[in-house]
Amino acid sequence: MNKPKNKAAVVKVKNDIEKSVLDFLKKGMDNEIFDAVLIPMKVPAGDSFAYVLIKDKSLLKDASYLPPVMPVQGANAVSSITRLGKGKMKIAAVLRPCETRATVELTKLGQTDLENIILISMDCPGVLPLSDFVKDPKKGMKLFDESIQKGEDKSMRPVCQICDKSSMVSGDIHIGTLGAKKDTFFVISNSNKGDEILSKLKISKKEDLDNWQSKVKNISEEKLKKRKNAHKTLKSKVGGLDNLLDTFSQCINCHNCMRVCPVCYCRLCYFDSDKVKHPSDDYLMRAEKTGSLRCPSDITLFQMGRMMHMSLSCVSCGMCEDACPMDIPVAQIFSMVADETQDLFDYVSGRDIEEPLPFVSYKEKELEEMEDAA
Amino acid sequence: MKKDDEFLPKIIAFLCNWCSYAGADLAGTSRLKYPPSILPIRVMCSSRVDPLFVIKAYLGGADGVLVAGCHPGDCHYEKGNYYTRRRFAVLKKITENLKLEPNRLKLSWISASEGPKYAKVATEFTDQIKKLGENHTKNKIFL
Amino acid sequence: MTKAIVINKTADQGLTEVLKFLLENNRVKGVFTLKKINKEGDVSYSLITNADDLKDSVPFYPLMPVNAAKILSRFTLKGPSNVPIVAVLKPCELRAFIELVKREQGSLENLFFISSTCAGVFPLEMAKERSIGKNLSKYFEKIKKLEILDDLRPVCRSCEEFVPYNADMTVKLIGENIDKKSIIFLNTKKAEKLVEGIKLDVSEKDLDKKTLDNFKSKRAEEKKKIFADIDNKTNGIDGLIDLFGRCIGCHACREACPICYCKLCEFDSSDCEYKPSNYEIELRKRGGLRVPPGTVYYHLGRLDHVSISCVGCGACEDVCPVDIPLSAIFKKIGESVQKVFDYIPGRAPKEDLPITTFEKEELKEFEE
Repeated sequence: MNKPKNKAAVVKVKNDIEKSVLDFLKKGMDNEIFDAVLIPMKVPAGDSFAYVLIKDKSLLKDASYLPPVMPVQGANAVSSITRLGKGKMKIAAVLRPCETRATVELTKLGQTDLENIILISMDCPGVLPLSDFVKDPKKGMKLFDESIQKGEDKSMRPVCQICDKSSMVSGDIHIGTLGAKKDTFFVISNSNKGDEILSKLKISKKEDLDNWQSKVKNISEEKLKKRKNAHKTLKSKVGGLDNLLDTFSQCINCHNCMRVCPVCYCRLCYFDSDKVKHPSDDYLMRAEKTGSLRCPSDITLFQMGRMMHMSLSCVSCGMCEDACPMDIPVAQIFSMVADETQDLFDYVSGRDIEEPLPFVSYKEKELEEMEDAA
Repeated sequence: MKKDDEFLPKIIAFLCNWCSYAGADLAGTSRLKYPPSILPIRVMCSSRVDPLFVIKAYLGGADGVLVAGCHPGDCHYEKGNYYTRRRFAVLKKITENLKLEPNRLKLSWISASEGPKYAKVATEFTDQIKKLGENHTKNKIFL
Repeated sequence: MTKAIVINKTADQGLTEVLKFLLENNRVKGVFTLKKINKEGDVSYSLITNADDLKDSVPFYPLMPVNAAKILSRFTLKGPSNVPIVAVLKPCELRAFIELVKREQGSLENLFFISSTCAGVFPLEMAKERSIGKNLSKYFEKIKKLEILDDLRPVCRSCEEFVPYNADMTVKLIGENIDKKSIIFLNTKKAEKLVEGIKLDVSEKDLDKKTLDNFKSKRAEEKKKIFADIDNKTNGIDGLIDLFGRCIGCHACREACPICYCKLCEFDSSDCEYKPSNYEIELRKRGGLRVPPGTVYYHLGRLDHVSISCVGCGACEDVCPVDIPLSAIFKKIGESVQKVFDYIPGRAPKEDLPITTFEKEELKEFEE
C-alpha cells in the first residue's frame, strides 16, 4: 500500500458525521461495490458494542463507526471470517487505525486473507476503559461524546492518551475528520482498491490534503512527546527485577491478555502447553530453593515470554489492559517495550503490508551493537 | 408439499443406524404417511450425538430436534443409549432452566421393526412443534 | 464429638502453628496455602517448604485469587506427589479438586487436606483495589454473629455447602471468634497421626449442628433471592442475548474454572473455525451476524460440559472483564442438573461422575 496521495475526496456531512459515514457505506452496498459491511453495532441490551457482519442494509442505521469502547479487536473479527481463505463476498471492514494495523500484521502472519476485504479506518479519538463503560453505559456514551466535542482525551484509556498513530493510514480508505472544513470530511484513498471504490462511487479527489496532513502531524507530534514522557516515567516504575515483580504481584496468570491480543493467534499457546507442566518433584525443588514458591508459578516467564513472542507485532491497541481483571498496566508496559524492539529494525507494526516481519528477514550486516566486539 | 402458508417445521432428527434409522426406512417402505418435516441425520449410535450438535441445531434455527435410538437394553453397542439418556437429561435440564423451549427437544426409542412408531413420533412431534411455532433463533444476529 | 486442637490465637495464626509443627517435624514436605507475598500485603497461594516462610501465611484470608484445585491439579498432573504435602483449601476448592481427580487430572495420593466451615470471600476486585484489609474486622464480626456480609461475592453469600467433605482437618470459622480463638478438628486417623506429639491442647469438641443449620437457612434465603434474579434474566433466547451481549469472547471464565481442564477447548478448536462460505450462508439466513460468532453457543456449551461438576466457586465471575453474573447462572443450572442424579460434586472420591455411568432403568421423564 502506498502513502496517501496529496488529493482526497471530500464528502459533505448531512445530519451528523456518524450518519454520513453510514450513508457512504450504504451507497457502497447499493452500488454493489461491496456485499457486506463489518462494523460495530450496539448490542440489544444496550450495554456494549459488538462487531456485526451486515448484509441486510436496513441494519446499517443501528451501526456505529466510532463506538466509545473496543470490546473486541477488529483484527480478530476480520481474521475469524477470512482465516480459512477469501470468500465470494466483498466486505468493507470499518476498523480503528490500531485494528487496521493489526489486521495488516495478521495478514503477514498468515491469519487473514485481505483479497476481498476493504479496510476503512478513521481518525481515532481513543476509547474509554471497557470495565468502566459496562458499569454505566449511559454515562460512558455521554463522556465519550463530550470528550470528542471538547477535543479532550483525559477520559480515554491510558494507552490511547499516548497514541501517536491515531490517524495512521494503513488500509484502503481513511475517513479524515481532522482539519476538514465545517460540515465535511475527507475520504482518503491509500490503495488501488481505494481508488477504484472512489471512482465507482463517482466521488472525485478534488481537495488538497494539506490541512488534514498538517493537523495530523501536529497532533501526532504532541502525542509522541507525551508518549516518550510517559514511557520514561513507566520505565522507572517497572524497570528492574524488584519493580517488575511488584508490578506483576497481583497477576493471577489468567492469560486474558494473551487471549484478547490480536497478535497472539496461536491456537494452543506455548504457556498453556505441556511445556510448562512439570512433575510435582520439580515444583517442590523450586520451592525448596527459596523456601516457598508462588502458585500459579511462572508468571514472570509468561509475561516476558509473551513479550518476546509478540512485541515486534504489537500495535498498542490496549485490549490486554481492558481484559486484565487485576488492572495491571499491561498495555502500557508492552507497548513501551514494543516501541523499542520495533525501533531496532525501523519497523512499525502494520504500517505497510509489503514490509517484511523483522523475524523472518535479515540483512547480512546489521545489529553490530548487539554482537560481541570482534 | 403443502401449497398453503401453513408453517412446516424443520425438525433435525439424529437416528441411530441399527434401530431408529432402520425404523424410519421401514416407515418409508411401508408407505406410512407422516409430515415432510423431518431432516434425518444417520449416526452409528445415538450416543454419537454430542449435546453440542443439538445446541447448534437449535441455535441455527431448527424448529425441533429429535434424538432417536435403540430401546435401552437393545443398543447395538450394548450401552450407548444409556449414556445418551443421561446426556439428554442434562441438556433438557439446562434448556428448562434457561426457558429455551425445552419442548423442542425430544428423545425417543424406536426399534428397526417399529415403522409405525416412527411415523407416529414424527407426526406427533411435528404437531407439537407447529403449536410452538417457528424457532426465532434463526433470525437472531447477536448469537 | 471429635478430637480438636484449641489454640488461643487467631484462626490464621493458630493453623499456622500447626503447619509449622508439620514442616519442622518432617510430617510433611510442603504446605499449600495463602501467603502474603509483598509489603503491600497482596495475597497469593504458595507452596511453602521452609517453616520460616510460614510467618507470612494467612490460610483464611478472605480471598480466592485462583481456585486452588487448579494449582493442586497442576502439581499432581504428571503423577502423584512422592512426598506428603498438606493443602489448606476452601470447601469448594476441595470439592473441585476431587472432581478433577475423577477426571484423571490429579491425584489424591500423599495429600492431606485442611479446610474450614467457610465464611466466604471478597470479590477479586477488592483485592485489586487493596481494600480487603480494612474490611477484615467487619468480616470477623459478621462471622461471629452468624450474619452474612453484603460485600462478599454473591456465590459465597448463597453457598449452602460450607461444611467441607473429605477434609482431614476442619477449622471452625463460622460462629467462632476467629480473631481470638482457633479450633481445628481432627476428622481422620491420618490427621491425628500427623499432629502426634504436638504440644497443644486437644479436647473433644463438636461442630454445633444447630448453629450450622441456622446459618445454612440464612444462606438459603440469599440463594433464593439471587436465583430469582437470574431466573428473571434468563428468559429464553432473548434473555440470553441480553445477558451475554457484552461478552467479549475472552474465555477467561473457562480458564478460571477448575473443572475446565481441556488442553484445547472445543470452542477454540477447528470445530469452531468457520469458512467464509459458512458466514455467507448465515448472512443469507439472518441478514447480519455478530463476529466472532458463537457467543451464546460457547456459554451454552460450557454449561453442558461443566454443570454436572460445578461447585459454585465463583472463579468465573471474578475474572470476567465485563461483569457478567456467570457464577450465579452456572451455580443455579449446576444445582438443577446435579439434582437429577442426586449428585453433589466432590462429595466422595469413589462416587462416579453421573455422565460416565448409568442405571438400566431411570430418567423415564426425559424419554419420549
